[in-house]
Amino acid sequence: MLNDLASYSDLMEKCSHCAFCEATCPVYLADLLETQVARSRMLIVKETLLEKNLPFSKRAEEVINRCLLCSSCQQTCPVNVPVDEIVMAARYQVYKGKRLNLPKRMLLKQVMEKRGIKGLLKKADLLAKSVGISPKEIPPLPKKSFEDLYQGTYEPEGKARDHVGYFVGCATNTLYPDTGDAVMKVLQVNGIKVTIPDKIVCCGIPALAEGDIETARELMEKNVNMLAELDVNSIITDCTSCGLTLKKKLLQVIPEDDPLSEKARAVASKIVEVTDYLNQTGLTRTPNEVDQPYTYHVPCHGNWTETVNDAPRSLLSEIPGTTLKEMEEPEKCCGAGGIFFMDNKKLSQAIRAPKIKDIKETGTNMVITQCPSCRSYLNSGLDGEKQVMHPIALLARAYGFKSLNEESE
Amino acid sequence: MKGLAKDLGQLIGSHSVKDDVEDLLAYEADATHYFARGKPDAIVLPITAEDVSKVLRYASNTANLPVTPRGAGSGLSGGSTPIKGGIVLDMKRMNHILEINQGNLTARAEAGVVLANFHRAVEKLKLFYPPDPQSMTVCTLGGNVATRAGGPHGVKYGTTPTYVLGLQVVLPDGSIIKTGSTCVKHSVGYDLTHLMTGSEGTLGVITQTTLRLLPLPPMDKTIIVSCKSAESAAETVSAIIAAGMIPAMLEYLSQGAVCLMNDILNPPLETGGEAYLFIKLDGQEKQIMDESRQIESICHEMKVQEVRVIEDEKEAQSYWKARSSLYPLIMSEAHKVITEDVTVPRDRIPTYLRALSEISARLGVSIGAGGHAGDGNIHPSIMMRDDSPEQMKISQAAVREVVKAGLDLGGSISGEHGIGWHKAEFIVDELGQRQVNLMKSIKKAFDPTGIMNPGKIWVEGGSSC
Repeated sequence: MLNDLASYSDLMEKCSHCAFCEATCPVYLADLLETQVARSRMLIVKETLLEKNLPFSKRAEEVINRCLLCSSCQQTCPVNVPVDEIVMAARYQVYKGKRLNLPKRMLLKQVMEKRGIKGLLKKADLLAKSVGISPKEIPPLPKKSFEDLYQGTYEPEGKARDHVGYFVGCATNTLYPDTGDAVMKVLQVNGIKVTIPDKIVCCGIPALAEGDIETARELMEKNVNMLAELDVNSIITDCTSCGLTLKKKLLQVIPEDDPLSEKARAVASKIVEVTDYLNQTGLTRTPNEVDQPYTYHVPCHGNWTETVNDAPRSLLSEIPGTTLKEMEEPEKCCGAGGIFFMDNKKLSQAIRAPKIKDIKETGTNMVITQCPSCRSYLNSGLDGEKQVMHPIALLARAYGFKSLNEESE
Repeated sequence: MKGLAKDLGQLIGSHSVKDDVEDLLAYEADATHYFARGKPDAIVLPITAEDVSKVLRYASNTANLPVTPRGAGSGLSGGSTPIKGGIVLDMKRMNHILEINQGNLTARAEAGVVLANFHRAVEKLKLFYPPDPQSMTVCTLGGNVATRAGGPHGVKYGTTPTYVLGLQVVLPDGSIIKTGSTCVKHSVGYDLTHLMTGSEGTLGVITQTTLRLLPLPPMDKTIIVSCKSAESAAETVSAIIAAGMIPAMLEYLSQGAVCLMNDILNPPLETGGEAYLFIKLDGQEKQIMDESRQIESICHEMKVQEVRVIEDEKEAQSYWKARSSLYPLIMSEAHKVITEDVTVPRDRIPTYLRALSEISARLGVSIGAGGHAGDGNIHPSIMMRDDSPEQMKISQAAVREVVKAGLDLGGSISGEHGIGWHKAEFIVDELGQRQVNLMKSIKKAFDPTGIMNPGKIWVEGGSSC
């Protein structure tokens, strides 16, 4: 249980101290000090917060705060210790949901409840200032959000061969409606009927990252109740972090003995990432040729099913003419970590620098990634030198659709 | 920062020195954390050999200030555990590959370079550096040299020492020396390069390595063999070797080990056999095809359950990835695990495996056996059910017996982990007191004040210590 750090002690004991987490922890790799690597992080959590042999110092606080929750360590951990959850639970124990100062907390709450920052669009400068970043680092906000453009149910071209729900996350809704628009168009030409559920809120991952388990639960309850009513076999998401939250973390927040458990598990079982979904169902319309070399940045939160990480690769290989130029380390974290980069500027930039170099060395001018946070953070790191987009947006282009961004130009 | 860290910070810059209690906690042990720990007084992360020199000179001139060099801290013998406190010298920031010379087939790299990164860099140029300790995604070249690390490639290609041509070493008095050369042949005086190699941080600090490379074999092939019994697997190994073949890797795995590996194997292996062999062949296509056919027919003659030549590259890789995760997987299974590193002459493997089951049955303790059968390096893993003093006593008895059984067969107490702290009590059994005394005299010549990684390799006390 994320609101009970002690419930993770057995999992923490599983850590054999093999040090394999040194291979992937981006925070450790940025300065190579072992204090920041998962095995030490857990040791410090154990000594300061569980067994309390040591006082919870400023330094210990820094150790639990300087974690991107990317779970890269878990992916390389032979015994699969859920370090991200342990850090979330530690943050819960320490801050009880009040890690951020009050203005930031209120702002984040508003964003999560309104699935984005609609209504705050005009205050973008204020928003940027309040979280301590220059407006340059967040993408220019489009005039219309996804929900301004799409609501309700959309019939496909021809006979529907499946009916899906579409969980539209905060970022797609307000920052990147072009992704949502591409998803809608691609599904429709492939014979998929789509319902956009009403009154969806944020998936809850920013609250989990704050260790604000109560708020995460409130949001999840709302979503579960809403999504459970959809009469569909699958609920797609274009965002790997929303997917991770709804598929996996939901089950940690709403445990098996919870009254909402059955509903939550039914919803979680339907969650599928959109490129993964299209790989499984297959394309009914053949994409046109696009002469486009691209590279693929694998989002950290892609590992919630075995096929998500590879799905964009195989889906885009259906487009004649595209070539995937792999980075040396496509799975290495970009440093964004949701909104981690806002409070950890220097560290995130240090993590991003080798990623940018790796991207540039592929010689391609297009980066594909499903995660909106990676997209935005890579985009600012690349200084507009290369296009960063969702895999479905490239597929939409191959079908001859203009992107929302081009339309508005 | 307190006195010591302040002094060190003034010497090499405060960004390279840590002494918060959380930092000290992080550096208390290597991967044998559950068996021995020691709290250091300061962590130093040098970026140059000069930094190391300044720190060692300072330590030499300070009473009772030990220095324990450290790579990834992934060792399995407690070698980098600062059991006497003092300074931990974390070498991982010295991580530059300085030169890869394709014409001379050599490379020069700093001690903190991670082995997998080095592999990647040389393989890009179609070159090959065979040593492959299973912690290669994190372990460092310096740590590999200091412990004579090896892995599955040992059977065909030998272990780290085979590839060390020269070293840059900082001696305890702060002087910086260069041993060996970049020539493949070298016959000048005592071989200090190979004295430093395997010295486990007790003589000085390795800051740079000059390594020999090979051309990258153009192709490889993986074969998975399942056998009815451990005996049959061990005899198949002997038969393959006796037929004059030396595969690039020849790993022995028990049924229990394969069950654990199935957690991460996709698709999982059938676990009908009592023992398994994971074989990798490398070289030219024609040679691989010939050897693969020959191994298949030997396996059939030996009446193994199944031989499978893996055609799918991804599937093949998944077996080796699971193999490299075996040690931590075992650790997660039992409460605690003591992993030994006994090596026997390879024709004695069947006898040794029999001895292990006999010890296991007699003492009532579970002993997993898996390892690099092709080179005789078996890793008996003694599984502890709990922390009780009784379990500890039985396990320690088992360790002694496992080691003794290996020595009785003309084997050795360590093939590739080094002695560190955990096996120090056995060194006299293998080498005899005279040799150990000689080693102590050598140590004295290098390190008269005894600052370098004290308490390792041999048990302190005795005639010359």
